[in-house]
Amino acid sequence: MHKLIHSEKVKRALQERGWSQKVLAEQLDVSGQAVTLWLKGEGFPRPDKLLKLASLLQLNFADLVQAPTQGQPVVAFRRKAATKTTSAHIAQAMAMGALLKPLVPFLPSAPVLRTLIPGASTDYAFLQMATGQTRTRLGLGDRAPLFYEHLIGEFASNGAVIVPVLWGERLNHRNALHILLPQEQVTFIFLNLDTRLEDFKFWMAHELAHIYTPELAGKEEGEDFADAFADALLFPQALAQAAYAEARRARSEAGQIKVLQRFAGEHGISLFSVFCEVRRYAQAQALPPLMCRETAVHAVRTGQRGALVSEQLFSPLPPAPDKYIAATQNTFRSEFFAALQRMLKSQGTGAGYLRQMMDIPLQDAMALHAELLR
Amino acid sequence: LTLVLLDTNTYLRLAKRIRPAVGVKFGQKGYVRTILKAVEDEVHRSPRLRHRYPWFDKAEFADERIAKQVRLSLDEKRSLEAVQSVLYASVLEAAARFTSGGRSPPGLTDCWLLAFGHVRPAIVVTDDLGMHLLASDFGITVWHGYELLDKLRSAKVVDSALIREIYGALERNGDLTATWRDARHTLFARIFGAEPE
Repeated sequence: MHKLIHSEKVKRALQERGWSQKVLAEQLDVSGQAVTLWLKGEGFPRPDKLLKLASLLQLNFADLVQAPTQGQPVVAFRRKAATKTTSAHIAQAMAMGALLKPLVPFLPSAPVLRTLIPGASTDYAFLQMATGQTRTRLGLGDRAPLFYEHLIGEFASNGAVIVPVLWGERLNHRNALHILLPQEQVTFIFLNLDTRLEDFKFWMAHELAHIYTPELAGKEEGEDFADAFADALLFPQALAQAAYAEARRARSEAGQIKVLQRFAGEHGISLFSVFCEVRRYAQAQALPPLMCRETAVHAVRTGQRGALVSEQLFSPLPPAPDKYIAATQNTFRSEFFAALQRMLKSQGTGAGYLRQMMDIPLQDAMALHAELLR
Repeated sequence: LTLVLLDTNTYLRLAKRIRPAVGVKFGQKGYVRTILKAVEDEVHRSPRLRHRYPWFDKAEFADERIAKQVRLSLDEKRSLEAVQSVLYASVLEAAARFTSGGRSPPGLTDCWLLAFGHVRPAIVVTDDLGMHLLASDFGITVWHGYELLDKLRSAKVVDSALIREIYGALERNGDLTATWRDARHTLFARIFGAEPE
């Protein structure tokens, strides 16, 4: 499909101004026939006329032009609690997706064989089966703690490119940003390293679920499945069963939370994940619920937060560009900066590209750009 | 009057030495240099720029900018937003075109400046090669910073000594772009001489 002028919107804008098509043609210095053809979808204005049309009718691009949506990036945010994703955030993420397209030819060929979870569902038994098989693939038993390093290889072998970023903890609304380029069949996952370790593990497991279920990309059910998959992968049934049994022996709410906390600490995951999985286990087995309330769990969790991933990886913070690039390549086994370096060197791309595509301040973009061209 | 709109880098490269920096008519065509609030915002958002250009917030410069800032009507703002969105969509549609030959894809602020150039109209002064490509796609007039300097020389606002001084400062600050470097021995060959063999 080619680009077309949105004739309904243009006609409405003309009506609001009391203009005929003839007046519009005069204003644009084109023939009346040209305007007629645009509105019939049989022609499209030249760039300078398109700009004038937008300016005269005060219609932005989305209202003025019907552009093909095929191949557009599919984006999803992993929001921080109590933050809101606005249309501006989505537009910015879509822009980042469009800017990532020129980088794709510089990535290594994506693997053709990928892991998929067909018929994904949030049914407890299904989740346990899916996460159990995933743990087996990762070489983990059903009671072993899962570290985020275990997950890294799964991303690369499924055509996903991890982009670790330092977006800050407080001023940013995202923990992670998932950008799927459907035509290129590449997924970029921006992971904010300024995230608490226990949350970071959850978000990585969540992202992995999206990689396994591309047919649910951008859909609400995809988000629900990814949340449930992440918790079940980090704290499977065998662990939930043990935690439930032990917590039941405690006689108070505080005592039960203490048991759950110990499990959370041993597995380096959030108390809330443990709580959710124990609750799901009890529901699935038709067992009586624990006496601890969700609000009480949140209160305890908020008071006891672990270190940021960035604090664990780098000292001092912020890291020098070479250290940051090395961590991306070595710790996260990501081809992102190697591909970017190939692109910058062969194309002569400016530093502004990094600023926009990674959503980082100009000074950071310039430092990275200089390091990659060194 | 013909407005000549300076982008952030152009303002920072020239404003300290060419006084007054904005608001004064020059040349036979009645050019008037101006900047938008977007420049103010961009510098204030960037600790690096604030650190590198400490004179930017001195009263002499800040007062002059505020006094001569172009005010936009609501109607103009609406047209600018519409044009900005068309320009930015065109960048994103063909991002690869803007990632070669030293170019970067123009961002929203860049598109806002070019939109101003189209709506007002004004000549936009920028050394950003991505903006030059986009402007040429849409028939918007843009100058490089050195072209503005040349017009100022023709209008006798700057002399050879000042041009040498500006080039010297850009070189010392590591801010001499390839296009400025080339212009030294072409446009300003009378001052700097021809390119050495």
